[in-house]
Parts: sequence; C-alpha cells; structure tokens
Amino acid sequence: MPSDARPQELTYADVNRDVVRSLVETGSKYYITLACSIGVMLTCFFFPWFYQLYYGIGAAGVNHPSVWGTYLASFIFWIGLSHSGTLLSCVLHITNSEWRKAMYRSAEAMTLFSLCVAAMMVMVHVGRPWFIHWAVPYPNQMEMWPNFRSPLMFDVMAITTYLTGSTIFIYMGSIPDFAAVRDRTTGWRHHMYVVLSLGWRGTDLEWHRLRWAYTFLAVLIIPLAVSVHSIVSWDFALSIVPALHQTIFAPYFVVGAIYSGTAGIVTVMYFLRKYMNFEQYITKVHFDNLGKLLLVLSLIWTYINIVELFTGWYGGTSGEIEALRYRLFGYYAPLYWEMILFCAVAPLLMISKRFRTSFVPMLILSILINIGMYTERFLIVGTSLSRQYLPDAWGLYVPSLVELSIIVGSVAMFITLFLIFVKIFPSVSIYEVKETLPEPEPDTTTGEPEWQPTH
Amino acid sequence: MATHALGLFETPSEALAAAGELKGSGFGQPSVISPIPLETAEEVLGEKKSVIKRFTFFGALFGGLGGFALAAGTAVLYVHPTGGRPIITWPPFLIITYEMTILFGILATVIGFLVSARFPAFRDRIYVPEAAVDKFAVAVPCEDRGVFEKAEAILRGAGAGEVREVTE
Repeated sequence: MPSDARPQELTYADVNRDVVRSLVETGSKYYITLACSIGVMLTCFFFPWFYQLYYGIGAAGVNHPSVWGTYLASFIFWIGLSHSGTLLSCVLHITNSEWRKAMYRSAEAMTLFSLCVAAMMVMVHVGRPWFIHWAVPYPNQMEMWPNFRSPLMFDVMAITTYLTGSTIFIYMGSIPDFAAVRDRTTGWRHHMYVVLSLGWRGTDLEWHRLRWAYTFLAVLIIPLAVSVHSIVSWDFALSIVPALHQTIFAPYFVVGAIYSGTAGIVTVMYFLRKYMNFEQYITKVHFDNLGKLLLVLSLIWTYINIVELFTGWYGGTSGEIEALRYRLFGYYAPLYWEMILFCAVAPLLMISKRFRTSFVPMLILSILINIGMYTERFLIVGTSLSRQYLPDAWGLYVPSLVELSIIVGSVAMFITLFLIFVKIFPSVSIYEVKETLPEPEPDTTTGEPEWQPTH
Repeated sequence: MATHALGLFETPSEALAAAGELKGSGFGQPSVISPIPLETAEEVLGEKKSVIKRFTFFGALFGGLGGFALAAGTAVLYVHPTGGRPIITWPPFLIITYEMTILFGILATVIGFLVSARFPAFRDRIYVPEAAVDKFAVAVPCEDRGVFEKAEAILRGAGAGEVREVTE
C-alpha cells in the first residue's frame, strides 16, 4: 500500500468537521444542479415514459425482429455500472487495502443508485409495469407461478438479492459515521441520524460485532456480484440467437461490468473531489490505482472481444459469420469501431503514470469508456436480433425519440439520487479514514470541543 | 441505575492500558469507547465470541433449502413438461438456490449483528460524544463511592485527562 494514500496533515477532528460540513453546508450551486437534474429527469424520463404508457409500447422503436432495444441496453448498462462499487469495496475490504477507505462509500452508493435506475429500466421495458408483481412468487387466484427455468426469473432473484445486499452493506458501514454526525447536528437532521445510527456508541463490543458482520457481508457479496452479471448475460446467451449463444458471455459481461463500474467510480470521484471539497481525501493515489485497475480491465475486455470474434469465425456456421460480418461492417459498424476506440484503444493511455494521476484527462477517459460500454450493450442487443438466421427475419432497429429521451432521463435520475445521497450519507467514511491517520497526539488546544452540535 | 467511572484518554494505547489495569484489579468488565475500531482491544479485554457466524450459516442454509424448495415445488405443483426433460431440472434451480442462499445469509447476518450488538438501542446509555471524534473513553461499573474513587485513581494514573461519574 503506498503510504501517501492517507490524507496528509489531517487530524481526527478535521475528518469529522470536513465530512459534517459536506452534509450540512449547502451552496446555491448544489441546489441549481439538483433542480436541473430533477427537471431533466421529469422531462426526459417520466414524461416520455407516461407518454409510452398512454399510447402503448409502439411509442418505442422496438418491433419485430428487434424486440429488445435501448431499454434493455440501458438495463445492462446500469446493472454493469453498479458492479464496481460494492464488489470493489468488498474485495478491497477483504484484502485490507488502505486506499479503499476514502472512496468506497461513494462507490457503494453508485452501485445502489445504478441498481435503482436499472430496475426502473425494467419497468419501462416491460410495457405494462402494473403487472410486474407477476414476477414475484406469491399464491394467487390465477394459479400462476413464475417459471424458475427462465433466465428472466434468475434476473429477478439475483437483482433483488444484489439490491438488498448492497443497501445493507452501505448502511452497515455507515452506522458509526451516522453516530458521529448525530452528535454534531441539530433539528430534523439530528433526529434522522439518531434513528439511522441505531444508538451506536463505539464500544469495543459494537466494533467487534460490526467487523464480523461487515466481513461476512463482504464475503457473501463478492460471489453474488459475479453471479448477477453472469445471470444478466444468460438472458442473452441462453437464447439460440447467433452472436448471443456463447459460453464466454458470463465472464464477458462480468468483466465489462467491472470495467464500466470502475470508470464510473473515476467519474464520481472527480466530481466529489472537486465539488464537495474532498481534495485532501481523494488524491492522485486513488486515481492512479483506479487507473491501473482500468488498464488491466481494458486489456481483459479487449482479449474477450477478440476471443468472441475468433470463436464466432472458427465456429464457421453461416448464421454466426453473418452476425459477425454485420457487427464489424454492417449498418451499426461505426458504433462498433467507436466502442473499440473508446474501450480498447484510448485506455492504453493509462500506461503512463502521468496520465493516470491527471484528474481531467482521467475524467474524460472514464466518460468515454462508459459511452463505449453503453455502445457495447446496444450492439449486443441491437445487432444480434437484427441479423438472425434467415434473411426474411432481418431488420433494422433505430431507437425512437422516446427511447433516446429515456436514456438521457435515466442519467439525470442517477445524478438526482446521488445528489440526495451526498447530503444524507457521509460520502467519505469518517472512521475508516481516521484509521489511516497517525494516532492522535495529546490535545493542547483550548477551543470549542469538536463534538458540539453546530448545525 | 448503575454508576460507572468513565475516563477520557487522548490515545488508544493509554485507554487500553487503563482498561487492562482495571480488569486486572478486580473491577467488572470495562468497556472502551473509541472513534475507530481498536485491533488490540481483544488482547486486553479478552477474546469475544460472536454468534453472527451461526446466524449467517443457518440463514444461508435456510435460504438455500427454501430456494430449491420454491423452484422445485413450483415445478412439481405446476407441471410444465418441456421436451421430455425432467420436471425438477438441476442447473436452473441451483441458480435460484444460490441466490436465495446468499439473500438469506445476508439478512440473517444483519439480524445476528443487531441481536449480538444489542441494536437498536435508543435509551440513554453510557456515551461521550468526544469518543466519536478524537477521544478514547474507558468505562467501568462501580458499586459505591469507594470503588469509584479507586477506579478514578487507576484511570488518572493511566493518563486520563478527565474522569466522570456517569449513570446508565
């Protein structure tokens, strides 16, 4: 662990002060951003969705043979984006990595909100969301039970479990911090943190129990996260559509998910660092380490893409060859090569340490990677269904304005949820950052005690 | 209403030394309140057994059995023959089993945590807000004034900047 991962020249009291400040001091910039993101979410997500509910699923561009469109691509994208947060946090917790401590809370929040947006995309995709409870096994007068052989039911179980696990994981890790914030706040905030902290005091017994429970959760969530995106891949791989029916799909999806999730963490860290004044906490070391991880993931992702092409070609069936030819040189080919540029070529810049430790270039690259990864998901869904076995089943899919608008709206929804999060949850873990600091020195100051309620 | 002597320390090593001394002097089990988890607390205060692992294990076991029973039971109750294949099909049902194992393992871990750490607890208990910032507190139960004074002497001797008499 590089020793400079720890925030420099901070005391325990500074950490409490800075994190509480991030929660209670809110400038006009925050409110303007929140208002804009809520506005975009309502205009671009909920309005088109209600329009689609009113006029029917025909408002979307999906039709035979491409019955899956950007809604499904967005679903995979958001599930994928959710992957690095909790998974990375769990892996780094188990391996006791010190650089995790300043950034994991926000990464986990990213997981949680990506999953929420992904769940919303399912609602939009199914067309008649008021029947969504039919996916839940419950005794009913119709004698209708879900088919547990279907990958869609695997999805329901896996995503429910992952959403539950991620919510519990982020909450449990935050309990000591809620207690620390509880002591520094007044009014409704104080009441909220009293409830959220459950009466935490920080006794040796409580720390002991938290450590055990947290570690167990981490151990349970790591295989869960891997299973979730494997299962999402089986939505496609268990079909017999050329270019989808491949054994490599599970690792391909998992790697892609961690890749886009890590890029998402870089994006979130940049904004958190810059606009929540966490410069001392989120440092070049974090960007350097995330950059190295991204570089490795980009190489694995590239390798899997090559293998996917090779096995398709080596299989030699006419359906597979046509699907590959169409993907590389057909109608959607510019999107394919854009994906390769953003996700396989551009990330090679991260070989340079200077690049990895430069904030703005890393931000730009992380956004480009996620644009590329969204394209990947669109291509998986779009090109495969457009080019199935028989030419009379071929067809083009072009998203409608409603679908395009909902993509923009889903991003706004994520931003809105995240903006609300940063004002409720301590975005940087107070107690874990303190663990990275040197032990406190005997106090010689006579100022106001740091624990006094001030806000 | 139990009375406790509570000493506030600047450093974790001082606090742990005081807790160790109190324990060695025949006082009741002292507790250390700290802003961070103290790795060496168990060495001083004795090893703690946790029931969380049992909750996790039995929760996961229940989830696994329940998950398989749900999938297999559905298949048996609502028979849906597919090309002469078995009604109870292992590969897809194991996925449901796996997910339910983890779901119930997680939920049981949380219950185990709440039960074993005695949460939620909203009544007044021994607590000092400074211990959520940068101070380390040691609290020990005292039956009477004489015991309190003895505890206070030990706490001050170990470097406590302040000793308070608190009741729970």
